[in-house]
Amino acid sequence: MTDNPPPLDEMVDGDSHVRPHWRGVFGTLFSLGHDTLAERAQLLERAFVEEGITSMLPGEQQVNWRCDPIPLILSAEEFAALETGLAQRARLIDAILADIYGPGTLVKSGAIPPDLVYGNPAFLRPCTIAGSDEAPVRHLHVYAADLMRGADGIWRVLADRSDQARGLAYALENRRNLSRIVPEIFQNQQIEPLRPFMETTAEALRALAPDGEGGTALLSGGHSDPLWFEHVLLARELSIGLVEPGDLTIRGGIVYLKTLRGLERISVLLRRQVGSRMDPLELSHSPGPPGLLDAMRAGTVHIVNHPGSALAESPGLAAFLPGIARKILGEDLITPSQATLWLGDGANLRTVLRDLEGWVIQHATDGSSVPVLPTHLTADKRAELAAKVVAKPADYAAMMAPTPSVAPCAMEGGLEPRPIVLRMFLAHDGTTWRAMPGGLARALSHEDAIAGRLPRDALSKDVWVLPDEFAATRFVPAMDSRPLAIRRTAGDLPSRVADNFYWLGRYLERLEEAARLRRALIPRVTRPSASPHERADVELLSACLRAAGVLRAEDTFDHGTVARNAAVLNAFRVDGPMRRQLARVANLAAQLRDRLTGEVHTILTRSLHNLSEAMRKLPADTDPRAVEHASVLTTDILQFSAAIAGLAAENMVRGGGRLFFDFGRRVQRAHALLEQLGQLLAQPPGPVQTGRVEAGLQLALELRDSVITYRARYLAVMQAAPALDLILADEGNPRGLAFQLLAMRDLLRQITEEGDSLVASVDQALRDARALVADVLRAPNQMAAAARLTEPLAELESFIEMIAERVSRRFFTLLPVARSLTTDAEPAELPGAA
Amino acid sequence: MRYRVRHVSRYEYGSPVELAAHILHLRPRPLPWQQIVSGEIVAEPSGSRRRDAEDHFGNVVTWLFLDRPHADFIITAESVVEVSYPLPPKVTPAWESIVEAAHGPDAGPAAEFRFDSPMAPSVAETRDFAAISFVKDRPVLDALCDLNRRIYKEFRFRSGVTTISTPVSQVMKRREGVCQDFSHLMVSALRGLGLPARYNSGYIRTKPPPGQKRRQGSDQSHAWVGAWMGPELGWVDLDPTNGIVVHEEHVLLGWGRDYGDVSPVQGVILGGGANHLTVSVDLEPDEVG
Repeated sequence: MTDNPPPLDEMVDGDSHVRPHWRGVFGTLFSLGHDTLAERAQLLERAFVEEGITSMLPGEQQVNWRCDPIPLILSAEEFAALETGLAQRARLIDAILADIYGPGTLVKSGAIPPDLVYGNPAFLRPCTIAGSDEAPVRHLHVYAADLMRGADGIWRVLADRSDQARGLAYALENRRNLSRIVPEIFQNQQIEPLRPFMETTAEALRALAPDGEGGTALLSGGHSDPLWFEHVLLARELSIGLVEPGDLTIRGGIVYLKTLRGLERISVLLRRQVGSRMDPLELSHSPGPPGLLDAMRAGTVHIVNHPGSALAESPGLAAFLPGIARKILGEDLITPSQATLWLGDGANLRTVLRDLEGWVIQHATDGSSVPVLPTHLTADKRAELAAKVVAKPADYAAMMAPTPSVAPCAMEGGLEPRPIVLRMFLAHDGTTWRAMPGGLARALSHEDAIAGRLPRDALSKDVWVLPDEFAATRFVPAMDSRPLAIRRTAGDLPSRVADNFYWLGRYLERLEEAARLRRALIPRVTRPSASPHERADVELLSACLRAAGVLRAEDTFDHGTVARNAAVLNAFRVDGPMRRQLARVANLAAQLRDRLTGEVHTILTRSLHNLSEAMRKLPADTDPRAVEHASVLTTDILQFSAAIAGLAAENMVRGGGRLFFDFGRRVQRAHALLEQLGQLLAQPPGPVQTGRVEAGLQLALELRDSVITYRARYLAVMQAAPALDLILADEGNPRGLAFQLLAMRDLLRQITEEGDSLVASVDQALRDARALVADVLRAPNQMAAAARLTEPLAELESFIEMIAERVSRRFFTLLPVARSLTTDAEPAELPGAA
Repeated sequence: MRYRVRHVSRYEYGSPVELAAHILHLRPRPLPWQQIVSGEIVAEPSGSRRRDAEDHFGNVVTWLFLDRPHADFIITAESVVEVSYPLPPKVTPAWESIVEAAHGPDAGPAAEFRFDSPMAPSVAETRDFAAISFVKDRPVLDALCDLNRRIYKEFRFRSGVTTISTPVSQVMKRREGVCQDFSHLMVSALRGLGLPARYNSGYIRTKPPPGQKRRQGSDQSHAWVGAWMGPELGWVDLDPTNGIVVHEEHVLLGWGRDYGDVSPVQGVILGGGANHLTVSVDLEPDEVG
């Protein structure tokens, strides 16, 4: 260990000269100066926070993704050599997977020990079942490798990423943000762009569709997946749909996406879900859809990569790759693995036990398990580890502890060389393997570096490949590119997404209505000496707030300043109803991330972030200005909601979700205004108090922003029928009921056939609303008639909810959850069986 | 011996099932000692898609997909099978040499069956139990038969006390269960010693009491164990539920690492509410033959 040579420096050679391919960037770094670099590093960090990108470290708390302002630079020559070497590895792994899930000669001949296959949870037995002649032949389409460069200058593979090749989107984001925030370093340096690789990959995926039919989609576990961000970004970069298992259904061996328009065929799935969770019929505990493996075997759908491809990530397999390469490719490995021994072999076990500290111990089949570095263990723990390995040697592999190269990182105290692990990405373009001229480098702590572990803090680097000055022919001539196919995505909105838009609309509107109620309430509870009239208003508004579920029963406004402040502020505190409303909006916005344009998403997340910060910073109830803060916050929420509504009208949505967003807002506004009006007109038992009805109508007009309109039309005379007309029947009042119903009808007409019963129902609601107003107008005592409206208003409210429910059932209904049937019954006694 | 097997599974659902997918291991596997004279599966409704193939272990499998609403589903599997298991060898090598062979290059496909599986992992409880039979240098078949008999004698057959997900360590503790439990237990015990062992799914013939016609539908699916005796001697089948070496009374559907690989009917449904399953199995000597 101690006699290891020093690590190689990527930027500086042995004579302390900056290597030629680093000179351009080095010059820029030098002229930028340390302070500027440190500032850019911070800006970069903030950019990633705003995008909501969290680290992809498994099993740990969410960490903010960070990108160092200094890229890792590869010369054209170096890149070409790595591309050749990794392409060979990709070919090899594809051949290994084809054999393991096919004839199985590698295990039979002893080239791979059965332990690494049959004892490997990543080996999916249903995938060995022979498919039809149309079934896909290729197992591997995308591949990534983690590499380190040793002190001898040779890049070696630490881990093959054959399952999903995660991290591609992070590499793209690093490049995008770096070029935005540190543009100077790009100015006097030509580098290879990443875009052509993505375009080739997208085309290659589409070309996999059997007979060119059906769509391509990225299959994601959904927004609870720690890599959800990557899924969203990757789907967008590749111009393919993002779907979840529940969006898919299989009929007659063909995979379909359930969209608003009906079932749309899907024939290529970029798998971003664990392969062993692809089909509940053949792989237990899977979200589905059931029958996916059958469809794959029938050749109607291509799954990229093959569900069983995680098998080749087993750390123990690295020990056998050189032999297998000679056996099935007839070639030696160009880019080798870091030296690895499988401990199921007695001689290997003895070798490793003799010098345990020179090795890193890994689980032989589980590539995601954390490697253990014996040299960092106490003597006791080391003995414990040795005993564990001796008890089940076949479960372990040992990798020689590496000495990775270092590259400069902008740290607080200036440039600091940190050990580097490089992830490179390859895709098969239908003919050959191509590497992305870039990648994802990560700076390690020294402990992680020797263990060959991925970093525990997420400082990443953009990776640059310099163009080859002498070989312009490497670029594919423009004439060769096939004409781009026209792609349209509108109308293919998955039902789940439409459902989410509908609820985003409803929750946003709910938040706004609650803010309106509060805005009306706050000045009335803060006046030093309230009139009886104002106290009555406070009572009515409290009733509305309670009905809307945004004021707790125990919060009241007439028990002293502190109690009043508490009643106002509680809603915004942790677990308070306003805070929860905001959280619901934020949650839906996160789920819809892939459907929102970047601009809208940024505004949404930034505003949500600011609002929740403001809530966190609210002063204590005893602060004399506490209510003032709440008042400002309330205005902020109204502004937020208005901003989102404005954006939605213009440019919110990709693929038609705006319609359902609007529909949700309209339904919720209609719901809220009917609910409020009912509360405001409610009378205590006994004869009708005209003054109370009048106060209620006044408040109703205020909440509908209609006071000025009313005064303009009827001056200061308060009468029930004109007020109700403005609130319920006036089609020109954007906060009135009729306006909402007309908007609902227009939206429904866009998605239904002529004469649809849903449209007819909305017309009915409109007639009902008008009839209510007409009844009051005809009544001898309008105030008394208005007081009797609570019941009919509630009926109208539930009628509108029923229409919304029907829309939801018709357009959003997801397939019911698949469940496993209990299998055969328990066998009974075997009478007489000897 | 020629048998006729009829296995009927009837699902009744509380509300119509919209989509269903089923995998059936319901047709006997052809083997040198088990000729399939005829074998077919009829489903009602028949479904929109049916596939027949061999699974990873070489068993005969049928996939059925139903995409129209149905309130009940009946699967009838009927086959005629000619069975004549070979007699077990008189002389067998010491069990330790079998362990060695199982870890060597000549193990072939048998190697797969020495690894843990979800329902039959090797655990200390079953391994210690087996160690009593597997004393030093004992011929492997002697030791296997001894273990087989001990399970039969020391465990009580009792249905309803275990489910298919009851772990083997639990069965060890309770000392009771049904044929699946005893088979999993024995497979687990043998794997613990380093011996390949597999789970066999099928049927056993029921001898009618003298002078009586046997009751229809009194039989059920059965399970027993395959144990490996080295590359020359191959596999021997043992039925720990009845304490016997399998000879002429069993019909094999298929084998796997455990029940999960070869359950006769397994499925996923969408919708359906509560469901009710009735199963009947008849295994009778075929009078025509």
